[in-house]
Amino acid sequence: MTPLAECLTAFIFGTTVGLLVQRSRYCNVAALRDAMLFKTYRNTKAMLVAMMIMTLGFTAFITIGAGKPMYFDVGLNTFIGLFLFGLGMVLAGACTVSTWVKAGEGNIGAIWALLFTFIGMFLFSLFWSFDFWPPAPQTMTGTPNLAGLQFGFANAATLQSKTGIPAIVFGALQTLVLFGIYRAILKRERAEVPEPEAAAIESAACDAWAEAPVEPAVQGAMAARAESVQPA
Amino acid sequence: MELFKKTLNPVAALAIIAVLDIFLFLVVGAWTVGGGETMMTGLIAKFFMGGAIDRIPFWNVAFPPDPYYWKIYISLGMVFGAFVGAVLSKEFCWRMPHRLTEWVMITIGGLLMGIGIRLAFVCNVSTFFGLTPEMNLGGYLAVSGILAGTWVGTWIYKKNLEG
Repeated sequence: MTPLAECLTAFIFGTTVGLLVQRSRYCNVAALRDAMLFKTYRNTKAMLVAMMIMTLGFTAFITIGAGKPMYFDVGLNTFIGLFLFGLGMVLAGACTVSTWVKAGEGNIGAIWALLFTFIGMFLFSLFWSFDFWPPAPQTMTGTPNLAGLQFGFANAATLQSKTGIPAIVFGALQTLVLFGIYRAILKRERAEVPEPEAAAIESAACDAWAEAPVEPAVQGAMAARAESVQPA
Repeated sequence: MELFKKTLNPVAALAIIAVLDIFLFLVVGAWTVGGGETMMTGLIAKFFMGGAIDRIPFWNVAFPPDPYYWKIYISLGMVFGAFVGAVLSKEFCWRMPHRLTEWVMITIGGLLMGIGIRLAFVCNVSTFFGLTPEMNLGGYLAVSGILAGTWVGTWIYKKNLEG
């Protein structure tokens, strides 16, 4: 594929994603935060369903050697970086996807968050060098290098080549685990959350900031939910 | 059109995105977001700094600025798609955070997201919709990191909600 065709495919994909995310008010932050804070799972369920479909699709194509899996080394920096990211996205009220989507809806706060994401990336680039742990390439060889705190990379393709078992088998196992979590959520929802209240929270959940004033009923429900969360 | 009148079920929306992402995985690679932003940062930095940017090893070695990097166009597509969706459903309006604490939280949050993406090499989209479905070891590490971070963030968010 020529670079131009790649860019065009990416743009068409991105446009569809932006449209669907905008129309469904899906939010990755809400998928995690609302499950923890309000015990509502509207977005979490969507995320799990997408992950199940993708696991089966990706591992099926990896089995026959098609597709372009990501290859990069995995180390403690993955954990630490995503810890900072998770903290940041809850504070900013939007992840990388919803910042773009909210920017498209005319949200100045989202554009501000994006600006500072760029600044954060640039600041980090100043500290990057060959001699520096963690992103230094010399510790990233594709095999475990525990002195450099790098664990090497492993994915469904590596599992298949090392064990001789088709990648789709591992994919099916992971899908089953994800489905187990999904079922547990459905069960919990049926047992706990009264429907109208849940719907009210859901509609307000992704827009913690910069939205029209929240209806009093929703506010009450949100406050009640926040109180019911046990202090850690 | 019905699509622009009522809110779509997120499960249906994400299922469609998942199928499209499998197609993208076959053609160029799974859906990621952080890479496009990084390249945009590089291009913006190059615009302002010119040749001086080559003295920073990151932009010289790891991410030489290139306007034909496909991931940029996923992000641009998302903002365009969201704009079209918002305008057609009459949901577009300029809005702004009102309180100073919100501005502070967004600023710190944005910075942490930027630093986190570059430290880890992945963002939340590649974690949940790229690495983990490919069963990459990094996916599981990243999911545990993001859950821990969200948990701490939620605690701060809750304090702010109460205050």
